[in-house]
Amino acid sequence: MTEKFSAGDKVRASRVDPPHHTRLPRYVRGAIGTVLNVTGRHPLPDNRARQLAAEPEPVYAVRFAASELFGEGDHTVTIELWESYLRPAELAGAE
Amino acid sequence: MSGDHVGPAATVAARVRHLESLLEQRGLIDPDGLDRALEAFVARASPANGARLVARAWLDDEFCARLLADADTALPELGLSMGGGLQTQRLIVVANTRDIHNVIVCTLCSCYPIALLGPSPTWYKSEAYRSRVVREPREVLREFGFVLDPSVKINVWDASAETRYLVLPLRPAGTEGLPEDALTALVTRNGLIGVAPV
Amino acid sequence: MGRIHDVGGMQGFPAVDHEQEELPFHADWEAHVFALNGALIGRGVYNLDEFRDAVERMPPQEYLASSYYERWLHAITTLLVEKGVLTEEEMLGD
Repeated sequence: MTEKFSAGDKVRASRVDPPHHTRLPRYVRGAIGTVLNVTGRHPLPDNRARQLAAEPEPVYAVRFAASELFGEGDHTVTIELWESYLRPAELAGAE
Repeated sequence: MSGDHVGPAATVAARVRHLESLLEQRGLIDPDGLDRALEAFVARASPANGARLVARAWLDDEFCARLLADADTALPELGLSMGGGLQTQRLIVVANTRDIHNVIVCTLCSCYPIALLGPSPTWYKSEAYRSRVVREPREVLREFGFVLDPSVKINVWDASAETRYLVLPLRPAGTEGLPEDALTALVTRNGLIGVAPV
Repeated sequence: MGRIHDVGGMQGFPAVDHEQEELPFHADWEAHVFALNGALIGRGVYNLDEFRDAVERMPPQEYLASSYYERWLHAITTLLVEKGVLTEEEMLGD
């Protein structure tokens, strides 16, 4: 399986607020971050929690500026995000 | 079945005992097995493990490089592993520098490198820590008595269940010539999480 | 919008209350809950993602008022009932 994103890519976290378990926290939804690297390949937890079929997919370490997430702060937050949670940052009106 | 009522007013301990006896009757658990698993877990998992990694990295530049590049393959060199848990866990070690300080959290639950640090402290699992350290890490560190120089930037790492993080603290000044054991003893669990300098 | 456990960046929580030293479990029952969860997952009664999901599905006010292992116990009992392993009546001792 090829990876959609590479180190250095700018990505936007999905804004979807699902009615089920997810590992995409609210504080990163809709924010633009930078891919650091792929940290592993794992099935989507959203599906595993519902006993739905889930093939392993790339999980990326994505770095966000605090100012992007919270409007303030000079630190960064890096979080593990499954490929399904990410879109290229260039897409306008990303969901 | 004993017929004791363990309704809402019963203590949690009584409810747990009752639950265990039901599951044992169903053949789903074996209490002796549970005790053994628990003992093994508590015995094996300790911050001394993480401390040994750090001391070795301070003393051996090549080990340090291997640890930072691919911690999972470096761990067995010290007889350590992230195993023993309920799922595969990859370890990533992030190094503090003069300009960058790292701190770890799991905002969604409590993911933590238990094999290398022992069970996580209550505060790590608290809403207060999980909510605030991603937003105001400098203030949280200050609450731990750790005042970071303003010129040092902070990277917060929000761990997942599959990928856990450990901080490699800066080697304190004045420790040149100390043997590995002494260096190991300097490293604290809080330093490995990033809420202390070492 | 979102579940109560998803607290990253949420405002209003107090200063972090950090004990200097602490035991891994504050009471025996906590250790038992810990071991129980491992055993049930190991037996395939439920998986870890389902377990986290069950914790997150606690009513928000109960979640916030519960200790860490009380949440685990809630999740375990929820899943045991949902999976048809035990009934609520059995767990109440009736």
